[in-house]
Parts: sequence; structure tokens; C-alpha cells
Amino acid sequence: MKVTVDQETCVGSGQCALAAADVFDQRDEDGIVVLVDPVPPADLAADVSHAAVMCPVQAITVED
Amino acid sequence: MSVAAGPLRLPFERPNVLDLAPLYEILRREAPVTPVTTPVGDPAWLVTRFDEVRALLGDKRLGRSHPEPELASRISTAAVQDGPMGDYETEEADHTRLRRLLTPAFSAKRMRALTEYMQALVDGYLDRLVTEQASAPDGVVDLHAGLALPLPVAVICRLLGVPESDREHFRSLSYRMANYASCGDDAYQAWNEFTEYMRGLVETKRAELCEDVISDLVRAQDEDEEFDYDEMISLCVGLLFAGHETTANRIGLGTLFLLSRREHWEDLTADPAGRVDATVEEIMRLGAPGDLGLLRYAHTDLDIADVTIPRGDAVILSINAANRDQSVYSDAEAFAPDREERSHLGFGHGPHFCIGASLARTELRIVFAALAQRLPSLRLARNMDELEVCTTITGGVTELPVTW
Repeated sequence: MKVTVDQETCVGSGQCALAAADVFDQRDEDGIVVLVDPVPPADLAADVSHAAVMCPVQAITVED
Repeated sequence: MSVAAGPLRLPFERPNVLDLAPLYEILRREAPVTPVTTPVGDPAWLVTRFDEVRALLGDKRLGRSHPEPELASRISTAAVQDGPMGDYETEEADHTRLRRLLTPAFSAKRMRALTEYMQALVDGYLDRLVTEQASAPDGVVDLHAGLALPLPVAVICRLLGVPESDREHFRSLSYRMANYASCGDDAYQAWNEFTEYMRGLVETKRAELCEDVISDLVRAQDEDEEFDYDEMISLCVGLLFAGHETTANRIGLGTLFLLSRREHWEDLTADPAGRVDATVEEIMRLGAPGDLGLLRYAHTDLDIADVTIPRGDAVILSINAANRDQSVYSDAEAFAPDREERSHLGFGHGPHFCIGASLARTELRIVFAALAQRLPSLRLARNMDELEVCTTITGGVTELPVTW
């Protein structure tokens, strides 16, 4: 599983960081997404795909 | 049954606080973007289908401002979501600036850091309710007054830096402001009183700014010429209003869904930690506060679902209807936390997505897990249809008599 994020599109809703805190974080200054782990372990797959679905601006891409 | 010839008038009468008017299903199927008359008699477009509502929530051709505000359709006599807001020329830049300013205070990390504090609050409210229930002659207590309302109030007061002792005052102002059934201009008077209260609070806090959102906004407004003082005050009022009213109502609606569908309550009590997240998402999808929707104005002519919406027209995006769209959700009207479709528009979508979503999700998860753990035999003490429903744009019930 490979994850990419688009910081330009991100509006800082933080729903990814709420769904998968080991993979996503938010910048302290403006809340924009920070990718902590671009290649998360398989046991986080459900949380990561949930994070991608929850993103209100589709700023997260997950590839198998 | 078919859609009537003339424009329909909002709001559509609903059978009870949990279900929507059956008309929405017909509109989604036959007229997903349809002309309506607002509760105050002005023309608007009502959008009911998931795909269109979702697309328009993220569409920059719509905004909260109006090119000629004095000509804009009005929605209701409430003082919230009633008409145009903000400056047409600078709306997008203003919104981006304010959003960046506020987002860090509502980040997932900050909300997670508040978990223990929220849990302690909830435990305390439940302890008090248990004591109260034991001594109540009929064994009935009000979960609205004892939990659903005080929790979000306490949390937003702490986040914003508002004295909790002011709660009665801003509670009653919030209710009046959001009331669309009030006479004359009471909602506006309440808005003015709320603004006055907030000015006083801001000026008191200015002498000793701390680590809270209102202090952050005061600092930011001081440093930024573009950031208007009145705009800052309105924003503080909006945050205090939205920060408690919406969550309190959602706790009430969620409790009603669970207690009126016993099998789902029992599922939750069997495994609170494992099931609470999905339960909260279903409460966010199906809970339908208020009978209107999110208000936008077309900033240009736009074509959607075979309809052309002219520039300047009001557009009401029915989140309630979109979240029950049968082309998106199987058995859409059913409360089913285990459903496969996990996304919904309960917090909106796109650049205006609810800034308090992480706050609300965290609060709701703690509340429903704690209720299921502590009070597994919880049940409604009265028939749901006897409960008084608020006539505010945020909906919900004013009392929640329960026993166990």
C-alpha cells in the first residue's frame, strides 16, 4: 500500500489524522496534512482507506 | 403521488423528529434540483440528490455572499443561515484566511489531547444523573439537561475561552437566534445581544490573552489590517453558537435513534469500544436536524441536473435528503451502523467542510460509548412523538426523559 497526499488541495479538516494517526498528521501552523508514513503496514489498510474516503476534498490517494 | 405544479414551500412537514417528509424521495427521483419558496416567501432552488449536493458543496461557482445582497432571497426569520453573508468580492480569500487561522485549534491532535478531559466530564455528568435517577420518584431524568447540552457547552467554553458561568445567557441567545418560528425580529435582536455580549467578552479578555481560540483571534485581528473587528466578533459568535448547539442536538437525535431501534442499542452495549465509531457515523448520516439545508448563492449562471440556475439565485443544499439517497445508500432510510457505505455529508463537503468535525466526532464517540457502558438498560421514559422539537435551524429536542 502506497499513500500520497496533495497539500495544495487539503483544507485541513484533519479527518485523516483522526482516522489513522500513525499515517497522517497536521502541520501545527495551519492544520494542513503531513504524511507520516507513505508506506503504512497492511494492518492499517482499513484505517487508511477510511481516511481517504472521509477526506472532504479528495486530497488522499491510496495505491495497492 | 407526483410533484405539484407550482413551487413547493419549505419546510416540508415531517412525521417525527427522526424521519423526513416522504416528498424528499420523490424530489430526488424526479426533480433533484427544483424551484421552491422559502419559509419567508422568497424563491430558491432546493437540491436533494447526493451527487448534486456533494458537487455543489465543493463548487466555487457558489458562495455564501451575494453580488447584490439587498436583492438576495431570504430563507427564514432566524439570524443564522437566513441570507447572504460576507463580501462578494473577497469571499474566497477571506474564507481561506479565516480557515487557516482557525484550523490548528480544531486539529485532530488537539481534539485527541482533550479526550481525557471530555471523558472525565461525561463520567461526572453520568454520576450525577445516576444519583438523580435514584432519588427521582418516577425514576426519570432528563438526558438533554444532564448530558447532551452541558457537555458541548463545557468543551466549547474551554476551547474558546468563554466563562462557563455565562452559559445560561448565551444558550438562550443561541436558541432565539436560530429560531425560525419567532415573531418579528426577535432572532435579530438576539444576534445583536449576542454580538454585544461577545464584544464585552473580547475586551475583557484583551487585557489578559491566553491559550484559547478567542485570544488567538484577538491577536490575529490586531496584527492584520484586512481582518475587520466586526468580522472577528461575528466569527466568535458563530463559533460559540455552532460549537455547542449542533453537538447537543446530535447527541439527542442519536439517543433517540438508538433507543427506538433497540437491537442497535443492544449491539452497541455488547461492544461499545468496537462499535461506537460506526454508530456515530450512522448518527451523523441519518440525524436530520432542522428542515432546511445549507444556503448558497450562485455567483454565475450554472447548469446542473438539466436545470440552469441564474447568477444571484439562492440554492438550498439539503444535506438531510442527500444523506438518504437510495442511489447511494442501500435501504437508505434504515439506521444501520454496519452498512458498507461509510461516507456521508453530515459535516458537509469541500472547502467549507465543518471545522469542528474532529471535535464533534470525538465528543460523540465518548458520549455514546460511555452511555452504552454505564447505562445498558437505558430507555425512553416517554413516547418519542410527545417530545418537544425545537423550531430552530439546528433542530433537535428540548428534553430527553429517560430511565433505566
